[in-house]
Amino acid sequence: MKGYEEGGRLRGLRCRHCGLITATWGLACSRCGSLELEEHELALRGKVVAYTILHVPGDEFLNDAPYAYVVVALDGGGQITGWMPTVKQESDLEIGQRVRYSSSYKPGVQFVKETDAGAGG
Amino acid sequence: MRETWVVGAASNRFGKMKESGREAATRVAMEAIRQSGLSPKDIGYTFVANAFGISEHQGHVGPLINNGLGIPEVPSATLESACSSSSAALHEAYVHVAGGFIDVALVVGVEKLSHLDTLAATSYFAVAADYAFETKNGATFPGLYATLASAYRQEFHPKDEMFGAIAVKNHANAARNPHAHFQKEISMETYLSSPMIASPLRLYDCCPFSDGASALVIAAKEFVQRPVTEPLVFRASARSGAVTDMQDRPDLLGIPSTRLAADKAFRQAKMTPKDINFLEVHDCFTIAEALALEDLGFLPKGTAAKESYEGLTARDGKLPVNPSGGLKAKGHPVSATGASQVVEIFEQFNGLAKGREVPKAEVALAHNVGATGGSCSVHIFSRR
Repeated sequence: MKGYEEGGRLRGLRCRHCGLITATWGLACSRCGSLELEEHELALRGKVVAYTILHVPGDEFLNDAPYAYVVVALDGGGQITGWMPTVKQESDLEIGQRVRYSSSYKPGVQFVKETDAGAGG
Repeated sequence: MRETWVVGAASNRFGKMKESGREAATRVAMEAIRQSGLSPKDIGYTFVANAFGISEHQGHVGPLINNGLGIPEVPSATLESACSSSSAALHEAYVHVAGGFIDVALVVGVEKLSHLDTLAATSYFAVAADYAFETKNGATFPGLYATLASAYRQEFHPKDEMFGAIAVKNHANAARNPHAHFQKEISMETYLSSPMIASPLRLYDCCPFSDGASALVIAAKEFVQRPVTEPLVFRASARSGAVTDMQDRPDLLGIPSTRLAADKAFRQAKMTPKDINFLEVHDCFTIAEALALEDLGFLPKGTAAKESYEGLTARDGKLPVNPSGGLKAKGHPVSATGASQVVEIFEQFNGLAKGREVPKAEVALAHNVGATGGSCSVHIFSRR
């Protein structure tokens, strides 16, 4: 399956029929069933709509815990899940926090706070 | 469609099994058949659930179970629907029997994970999430439900003690259930001082990894005629799917497949939530029990944790929920869970739930979710 991270960009799909923007792979729209999906470049910034601080990680993130797992509503539409390696405790994050995508050699879609310095965005 | 019954139901003690999944599954199946008064030879099909059998280097376990029951010629198939695997098997059994294809079906759910460490077990559980779009981005199973809990808290501002009340209540029920993994009560202090696993979920918000096996015997009324147990009459057997990924859900305040399956089930049964005396719901985490009660239509959005705190769902409350102790305290042997909910309803109907009887056991509902809601089953049973 083609990943949605590519050269510092996030690729998604847009439904020409109902307008749904999604980061999830598919051949038809998960909302209206239309087959008219087109490739769509997702925004790299957005805000956190839900999150957790994981103290017990999955096996591919063993050395990274604790970290935040986030659902981000992207500017311009679509939501995407990702993780924030620099967020270590509950009080470091709140719903509504502005974040930006940060391309990395590590697995998964990584976000940092919009105001944080560093690569990407 | 023919009137269809559950005429036998058995579970072993959940927790840590010494024997293999295949041995445990065969043993509970034989016990359920014995209880039904039927013979293994009556079985027309065995529907098995064993999602993580591969951890025991064993797939295709149905023929091994049938062989152990002395009926190697009976067809079998394994169904996988994550944590709702055995309620999916139950639905298939119902369809076969009610539709007249066979007279008697056996449903067996079994899981064994205790030979794995926590990391390996957590990773097995995560297999049911979307690997490419969730697990690879750092999600774990508790993490996904914690994400739902964070959205719920942001919207409704429940106190920690309200979720604590769900854990305390389910442990109190499990303490009276000989099948349960945790047969001990916990205090609110124990709950509140337990470590964070995936904020806001503490250790005592989470169900354990359990081994366990449950079996059900499903039969057409006209085949059984004079049952030796108080049968559960199927009033509804409904399943639904829904968008799996958190990132594609229109809101994070519920499980859409629960809403869809409940709607189908209540229409099939020609009932409303008011007709239900007690429920077994899918409480893999305390937040899941709250969401279930709201999505099934028993309580308005945002009120279930508060109502639980105020005692509505206690065993002697107006709406007893999870008298078995639920996944939270009875335990969650993934593929045995859905069938074990029906075992609890069977024991309540048959006066076998000693010390944990609900005030009224005439009509009951079982609700079983696959993963974070990619699939869901709702069954409704009544007395004859």
